[in-house]
Amino acid sequence: MLTAVKNQMRVCFLSIKYNMMREMVNKVTFLTNVGFMVLNNASFLVQWLILFRLRGDVGGYTFREIMLLWGLVAAAFGLSHILFARVFSLSDLIIGGKLDAYLVQPKNVLASVLTSATDVSAIGDLLYGMVLGLICSRGAGGFLLYLLFTVTGAVVFTTFALLLGSLSFWFVRMDLLQSQLVMGIVSFGTYPDGIFKGVSRFLLYVIIPVGMAVWHPVHVMTDFDAGMLLTVLGYVCALTAASVIVFYRGLRRYASGNLMEARL
Amino acid sequence: MTRRKTSGGRLFCADRSGTETANEKDEVFRVCLFANKQSRKTAETGCMYTGREEESEMQAIRVENLSKTFRVKRKEKGMRGSVKAIFHPQTEEIHAVNGVSFSVEEGEMLAFIGPNGAGKSTTIKMLTGILYPDGGRVEVLGVDPTKKRRQLAYQIGTVFGQKEQLWTHLTPYDNFRFFGAIYDLTERETEARIGELSERFALKEFIDTPVRNLSLGQRIRCEMVAALIHKPKVLFLDEPTIGLDPVVKENVRELIRQMNREERTTIFLTSHDVGDIEKLCRRIIIVNDGQIVLDDSVEHLKSHYPNEHAADIGTHEREQEAAGSGDSSDVSLEDIIVEIYRSQGEN
Repeated sequence: MLTAVKNQMRVCFLSIKYNMMREMVNKVTFLTNVGFMVLNNASFLVQWLILFRLRGDVGGYTFREIMLLWGLVAAAFGLSHILFARVFSLSDLIIGGKLDAYLVQPKNVLASVLTSATDVSAIGDLLYGMVLGLICSRGAGGFLLYLLFTVTGAVVFTTFALLLGSLSFWFVRMDLLQSQLVMGIVSFGTYPDGIFKGVSRFLLYVIIPVGMAVWHPVHVMTDFDAGMLLTVLGYVCALTAASVIVFYRGLRRYASGNLMEARL
Repeated sequence: MTRRKTSGGRLFCADRSGTETANEKDEVFRVCLFANKQSRKTAETGCMYTGREEESEMQAIRVENLSKTFRVKRKEKGMRGSVKAIFHPQTEEIHAVNGVSFSVEEGEMLAFIGPNGAGKSTTIKMLTGILYPDGGRVEVLGVDPTKKRRQLAYQIGTVFGQKEQLWTHLTPYDNFRFFGAIYDLTERETEARIGELSERFALKEFIDTPVRNLSLGQRIRCEMVAALIHKPKVLFLDEPTIGLDPVVKENVRELIRQMNREERTTIFLTSHDVGDIEKLCRRIIIVNDGQIVLDDSVEHLKSHYPNEHAADIGTHEREQEAAGSGDSSDVSLEDIIVEIYRSQGEN
């Protein structure tokens, strides 16, 4: 069992390594993508600086907490897209019948699929998120919590995309819903939860998991609450289990395809 | 149960009461060409390959009443049809594979052919664990692909001529190392196997060139090495020579023959290239509409079928040329296969 896990990890590591090697073939493109993503994220700093000159707080958040939100969203999004970028195009793989190459390998299909692509610009997101985390976290303990929530946030991004993408085994064009709802975590997660009330707040905790990916973690980092921390961890485990079950249920319905294709 | 010809002991048909009736006296006739209707009837009544117990130990592949149905959406033409399909979606069931039964012996080279849409690729995909069957049983090397896909994957190799498994930005060498890791080979084992196969497949010149810069023939050879890195006992080849020039095709065939000879690898081949079938396989299974319409040796098919269907074979060409010597010795395997496809289409 342990050997199998070790071998699986070895293949996943090699897959990620080869993805990175591919992205680094063109050095200029690689560095430009990473650099511009950092700049793109940093441009929003100006917007919030201006806003906080006009008001003391927004939705109950200080400037530092808003930066924690931004940093956490960017780092979680980045980590998820570096390691598991393929999950965000899972619908395409399912509808196009492109899972065959993974199904004939003696390895875990899901792990092989998830680690089969990387998004190089996401390195910029992760770097930006880590810098903000270092600046805005309270001490070493605070930064460790920040790292933990970066991982849980990345898991939420990945498994939420997996859950929605796996619905493509049953319904076509789930890619649109998948991309809209996943990007919803970024769109809503970079604003303080205090500005959302009633139904919208409920939806952002239940339908789109912004609350568990970003808001709860920021609350824990600013005002430590063990109960809230356990709630986040429990939610991450439950979402992971649900998405994996849906994927494997759906895999039984996989119809493959005969399109000419290459593994790029 | 009636049928035009039997396969001389390869096929055993069970009637509704479940009694097996082997037509062992009919050794002369190896051709098992069912009329389409008869074939359907056979499937309904449960025609299945059973084989003797001692044979089953030597079987690499064993398939019984295998079925797979796809549900395909249908819509009327135009925008109106698209709108209507939203509120009243209509689906149609396509029986891609319908009660297929056969077995393949260890070390055998089998051609599994049929016209486009006959169910060849669907069958291969069920044998390799890519697709779940809707009915029937599959065993490859004694393993059920639907239950132990990963265990089976260690023992089989696949080459899909139309689908690349290699990473195009990596060199063949890096690809082989990756595949070695996938099959849990140690670095030493992987290196040894790469050395052995690169010599056999003559890859040394381009083993360090990115796959995207290789010619099609070089790429197919690399695909085959990747599929063989773990010494599979069964190799599934789906159109392995598609798009290759005659010289490269011949090289690839020789390599397949060599592999079969030296490592006793069972070869399960689908191809539209009659040359592949003639030069590699001793046995041929033809499928149409998801059912087996012929299971015979290539040699027997070539020598007997023309005599029995002399009037049919090449009719179309002969009509056009206003000629027809009727000399069966001139009939090629391709003509025979075309005639079988046509007769099935008419049925």
